[in-house]
Amino acid sequence: MEVLLHILLILLLAKLFGEVFERAGFPSILGELLSGMVLGILLIHQESEILKFLAEMGAIFLLFTAGYKEVHLRDLKESSAKASVVTVVQIVVAFSFGAAIGVYFHLSALESIFIGVAFSPTSIGVVVRTLIDMDYLSSKPGSMILTSSIFDDIIGIFLLSIVVTMATYEQFPSGVQVLIILLKMVAFVAIMFSLRKWVFSRLFDQIHRMHVKESIFAFVIVIALFSAYLAEVFGLHAVIGAFIGGVMLSDVSHAKIEHVQSKVTGLAYGIFVPIFFAFIGISLNIASLQTIGLFSVLVVVLALLGKLIGGFLGSRLIGFDNYDSLIFGVGVMPRAGVELVLISIGKEMGIIGDEVFSAIVLMVAVSIFVSPVLLKKAIQFKNRTNSNNT
Amino acid sequence: MVDHDGDEDRIRSERSFAEMCSEMFIKDFMTKDLVTISENDSIDQILETFDKYHFHTYPVVNEDNVLVGTIDQNIILKILLVHRAPRIEHTHLNAVVFQGDTAKTIMIPHPVSISPNETLCDTADMILKHKIDRFCIVEDGKLVGMICKPDIIKEVYKLRGSY
Repeated sequence: MEVLLHILLILLLAKLFGEVFERAGFPSILGELLSGMVLGILLIHQESEILKFLAEMGAIFLLFTAGYKEVHLRDLKESSAKASVVTVVQIVVAFSFGAAIGVYFHLSALESIFIGVAFSPTSIGVVVRTLIDMDYLSSKPGSMILTSSIFDDIIGIFLLSIVVTMATYEQFPSGVQVLIILLKMVAFVAIMFSLRKWVFSRLFDQIHRMHVKESIFAFVIVIALFSAYLAEVFGLHAVIGAFIGGVMLSDVSHAKIEHVQSKVTGLAYGIFVPIFFAFIGISLNIASLQTIGLFSVLVVVLALLGKLIGGFLGSRLIGFDNYDSLIFGVGVMPRAGVELVLISIGKEMGIIGDEVFSAIVLMVAVSIFVSPVLLKKAIQFKNRTNSNNT
Repeated sequence: MVDHDGDEDRIRSERSFAEMCSEMFIKDFMTKDLVTISENDSIDQILETFDKYHFHTYPVVNEDNVLVGTIDQNIILKILLVHRAPRIEHTHLNAVVFQGDTAKTIMIPHPVSISPNETLCDTADMILKHKIDRFCIVEDGKLVGMICKPDIIKEVYKLRGSY
C-alpha cells in the first residue's frame, strides 16, 4: 500500500510547507504546490490512479466550498449591474492576451482558447491583506475588486464548460454545436435553480430531524457529488456542477449551520484540496519549464498585463480616475485555486500539453508573489500624488 | 431480586417526562421582549447596541419585522480585529463583511429558525445535535421571539423536578 505512504507524506508536507509560506506572508497554496514538486522529484515518480482520483475530488470540493461558503445569490444580484462592464472588459482583454500567445506559438485553436480561458479568473484572497493594511478594502477600487473577482471566477468556470465541451467534439464546433452547448448549460442551471427553489429547503427541513449521525453533513456532501455528477450527465465538467451545487446550497439555513460548514471545510481543506494542489506540483514538468523559457516568460508577463490593462480600461470606462483604475487593474492580477482547477482539467483532457501547464503554474506562483507588492506600490503612488497636490 | 415496583415507577415517570416535554411549546417560554438590529443600522449603531446590552447574538430584521439574519459577538470581534485577521480569513465573503457599513452587509443571512409551536424536547434535541446555542423564533416569516440554551436548561430542570 505505497499509496498510503504517498497520501500521508503529501498531507504532512503540504501542511508543513504551507505553514512556512503562511508565516512568510504568502498563501499556503504555494507550500502545497512545492510539497508536490518535492515529492514528485524524490518519491512519487508515477501518478497512481488513487492519487489522481483524490486530486479530482480536491478540485470538486475546492469549487463546491467556493460556491457553498463564498457566494451569496443576493450579493450577486445586487452587485451584478455595477461590476458587469468592468468585469467583461478585463476578461476580454486577459482572454485575448492568452489566446494571442497560443496563436503566436502556433498552438491549436482549442489550446489557444484554453490559455485565454485560463487567464480569466482572479483570486481575491491574495490581495485582501494588502487592501486591509492600506485601508483600501472599503475604497471604490477595493470594493470593485471584490465584486469583480467573484464574477471573474463564475465567467471563467462557464468559459471552461464551453471549452471542455468543444474538446469532446475534437474540432472547432459549428454554430449548432455551440448552441447545443449553451442549451445544455442553461438546462443544467435551470434544473439546479428548480431544486434550490422547490427541493433543497424542504429536504433539509426533514434531514435535520433525522436520528442517524451526521445526517446534514452527509446530505451536503451528497448534493455536492450529485451536482458534479449531473453536470457530467449534461456534458459539462464535474467541477462546474460542484460550484453551482454549492451556490444553490448557500442560502439553505440548515445546510449552512456553522457546525456543518466547519466539517465540510475540514473535509475539503484538511484532505482533498491539499492533495489536489500537491498533485499539480507532482504533475509539473520542470524540464519543460527550462526548455521553453520564452513561452513561460510570455505567459507570465501577458497574463499579468492582460488583467492590468483590461482592469484599467474597464475601470476608466465606468468613470474611475487613472489612479483608481491602476489600483483596480493590479488588484485583479492574482490567480490561484480556480486557475489551477482549469489547467488540471485541460491537461487531463489532453487540451493543453506539459509546456502550457507548467507555464501557467509558474504564472500563478509569480502572480501570488508580485500582486500584493505591486498593489501596495500603486496605492502608495496614488497617496503620494494626492498629498503632493494638496 | 428484581425490584419490579421500582422499574414500573421509573417507566411511568420517564413516560410522563417525555409526554410532558412534548406537550410544552417554545411559545410558552421564549423571550418575546427582544433587542433587535435593523438591517439598515450602521456599524456604529450596531456597536452601540453591543455596548449597551450584553447578549451574544442579535436578530436582524427588516422594516416589516421579517427576520433577515443575525449578528453575533464573533462578527463584531472579527470586524474590530480586521488588521489582525489571519490569512485563512482572507476570503471573498469575509472581505465583503470587513468593508460592510450596514447590518445587512455584515450579518449572517439565513439563520436557522424554529416555529413557536416547536416542542421543548425537539428544540433541546436540535441544540444538542447541531451544536446551536440559540434559535430565532419565526411565525409567518416574522420574528416573534428567541430561545437560548439556558432557557431550555431551565425549563427541562423545572420539568424534571415537577414529577
